[in-house]
Amino acid sequence: MTLQHYLVISAILFTLGIFAVLTRRNAISILMGIELILNSCNLNFAAFSRFMTPEDISGQIIAIFGIVLAAAEAAVFLAIILAIYREFGSIRPNEVDTLKG
Amino acid sequence: MTVSLISLILLCPLAAFAVFGLLGLVNRRFPRQDYLSTAAMLIALACSFLLLREVVPKPEAHTVNWISLGNVTFSMGFYLDSVTAIMLIVVTLVSSLVHIFSMGYMHGDPRYPRFFAYLSLFSFSMLFLVVSDNLLGIYIGWELVGLCSYLLIGFWFEKDSAANACKKAFLTTRVGDVGMFIGMMMLFAKFKTLSLYGEGGIFALSASQLTTGDMVWLSIAGVLIFCGAIGKSAQMPLHTWLPDAMEGPTPVSALIHAATMVAAGVYLTARMFPILTETSSLVIAYVGGITALVAATIAIVRFDIKRVLAYSTISQLGYMMLAIGAGSYVAGLFHLTTHAFFKALLFLGSGSVIHAFHAMHAHGHDDEHEHDDSEAHEHTHDQGDSDAHGHEHSEDADSGHILGSEIPPDQDMRNMGGLRHKMPITFITMLIATLSISGVPFIFSGFWSKDAILAGVLGRAMEWNSVHHYILFIMALSAAGITAFYMFRLIFMTFFGEPRNQEMHDMAHESPLSMTVPLLVLAVLSLPVVNTLWFNADYVEPPPQPHLHAPTHAYIAPDTKTGRTGLALSLFGVSEAVAAEEDAGHGTQDAHADDGHHGHGPAHTIAMVLSICVAGLGILLSWLFYHRRTLSAESVTTTFRPIYNLFWHKYYFDEFYDGVLVALTVWKARLFAQFDGSVVDGIVNGVGVVTRDILAAFVGFFDNRVVDGLVNRVAQVTWAVGGRIRRIQTGAIQTYLFVVLAGIVLLILIFRAL
Repeated sequence: MTLQHYLVISAILFTLGIFAVLTRRNAISILMGIELILNSCNLNFAAFSRFMTPEDISGQIIAIFGIVLAAAEAAVFLAIILAIYREFGSIRPNEVDTLKG
Repeated sequence: MTVSLISLILLCPLAAFAVFGLLGLVNRRFPRQDYLSTAAMLIALACSFLLLREVVPKPEAHTVNWISLGNVTFSMGFYLDSVTAIMLIVVTLVSSLVHIFSMGYMHGDPRYPRFFAYLSLFSFSMLFLVVSDNLLGIYIGWELVGLCSYLLIGFWFEKDSAANACKKAFLTTRVGDVGMFIGMMMLFAKFKTLSLYGEGGIFALSASQLTTGDMVWLSIAGVLIFCGAIGKSAQMPLHTWLPDAMEGPTPVSALIHAATMVAAGVYLTARMFPILTETSSLVIAYVGGITALVAATIAIVRFDIKRVLAYSTISQLGYMMLAIGAGSYVAGLFHLTTHAFFKALLFLGSGSVIHAFHAMHAHGHDDEHEHDDSEAHEHTHDQGDSDAHGHEHSEDADSGHILGSEIPPDQDMRNMGGLRHKMPITFITMLIATLSISGVPFIFSGFWSKDAILAGVLGRAMEWNSVHHYILFIMALSAAGITAFYMFRLIFMTFFGEPRNQEMHDMAHESPLSMTVPLLVLAVLSLPVVNTLWFNADYVEPPPQPHLHAPTHAYIAPDTKTGRTGLALSLFGVSEAVAAEEDAGHGTQDAHADDGHHGHGPAHTIAMVLSICVAGLGILLSWLFYHRRTLSAESVTTTFRPIYNLFWHKYYFDEFYDGVLVALTVWKARLFAQFDGSVVDGIVNGVGVVTRDILAAFVGFFDNRVVDGLVNRVAQVTWAVGGRIRRIQTGAIQTYLFVVLAGIVLLILIFRAL
């Protein structure tokens, strides 16, 4: 297993995440796409850390930070979605348009 | 002591006026303004008498600095010498008597309190003028008395004639005042002060600083200041306001237009005595002399009792001016004093007569018709004298179409006659005043003062051997004769003969006590009691005239080395003159041919004899014309028609002013109005049209098209661009993300390509 393998998998994950974010109508699905993107990044950090600077683990630590960040972000995101749902009766971003001029 | 006295004299009348003015502010009246004003004047009178003792013998000055501008300081202060003290007595005395008289005369007038307030204000102003030690103070008092004169002439302003008269008086005197102000400024420009006395005063400076080269300049300044006196003292040619001023209440005529204010001009000229030069003296003397003669001739043909007295006043003021111009300082002021008393008496007496007729006047239907009745009446009663009737009638016809309608019936002497039985006190007192003004010798004050003037003029003529002064002497002498004539004409027409208007005569009655008492007091004062002040050589001393030099051709006799001062004092030489009478012999016309060898003694004798002669002649003629009627005024009138017309029309002065000055002013005004209407308005309108039609149109076009266009274009562009750009903002978050991603991809591609 070389660095290229990791990077390819990371790119696939990233692309899938982007695709999900751009195409899904459901906010939860968009969140899932975002999670994919974040994790592809974490994978990149870890891979680069492992192959480029084996003696330094700061890249891996950043990956762990990313996971924590993703968790926190998911929590806030879900709370917002709940509130939106209560207000609008829907979690589709297109229908939340009261700020539209 | 003197300061507090003089302050009291000034403040009492002022306070009386202030009470009226201040209460007037809150729309209230002091219950008895008449008592208040009169009391104030009586206090001032008492103080003046006290002061008379104080100032003897040497002058006092009290000065404070008033305004400082840079290095120039204007001061205010009192100057008290014997002349001031006498003037104070004259003013306060006449004013007090007029106050008392007015209580009777003005009784029942709707503006009764205001009248007394004005009288108080006038008294204050006049006293202020008299005591001021500098030209500025004199000028302030001068204008204040002018204002009071204006207010009081127009006191019955409902009458058009009174309203016009007060305006005329104010404007005419203003002409003179402008001259006076210029004169003051000339002196100020030279000496940087307006104070007259003391070390830094104009008199001291002019004596020490001026050289003979400045004489022309000083003469002009003197004549200009004299212009103020011409206006105020109604000298030719600004005399026309004084007769019209008779529209005011008669006490006002007595106080202001006979005794005090008009004499202010003489007083001012006397104050300026030390800076008079030979030329300005001569101008003053000539103006006075001509005025004396001309006004006297006009007075002959007047029928309005007050107008006769008005012209008589002008004439007498001319006398005083003549005296001062001829260097007889003391004589001029002496005549001022005596004249103040007897002329006030004459005016108050005429007021008493008018008051007696006032009830008739109130009925208001005394017109030509009734007058004709009276003529008829006279005709039946006066069988033996058809001449007189004819004469009256012709004058009547004359006046009917020229001026007759202007004379109020209660002032028309043709309505009077025989009043001496009805009004004995008025008659006796007026007779005394008439004898005084006519110069009946020895027991009347007017004789002494007039004689002093005549003697002074003749003395100067002899001393200087000056033709001018001989001419002036003849003028004064003729005026004296004419004065006696017209004054007795007044007395005969008013008090003697048969009543000409029976209805008015029946109404006539002696005036109340408040009016007769002042008459009696003034009658006493018309006897030579005041002479004691003036005949005391230690008391009044004429100031020196450093700039007045006898003409070089004058022959100064060796025995008159005492010079001018001695000459000016010549009136004190009455006794010497009488003593010298035998060697001069009885005065004849040839006496004029005498040269100056004899000095002033003979001059005095000659003057005295001549003046007695002309006065006697005047009275005799008057008696023949108007009482005995052995001479017919009518035939004289027809014989000398042109001269009569000249007198009747007052030398056409009013016509001249109306025809030339007023017409010129109106013409000028029309011209200016036309200029204003066409040129100035044209320019303004033209500018308006140009601005509105051309400039404004262009600016409007620019504003509408360019500025608005620009703004609108910007708005339109913004609008259109906005319309396009808003499409981008869909609100769909995934579209944005797509764009972001596309952008990133694009950037990556670009950077790869690089």
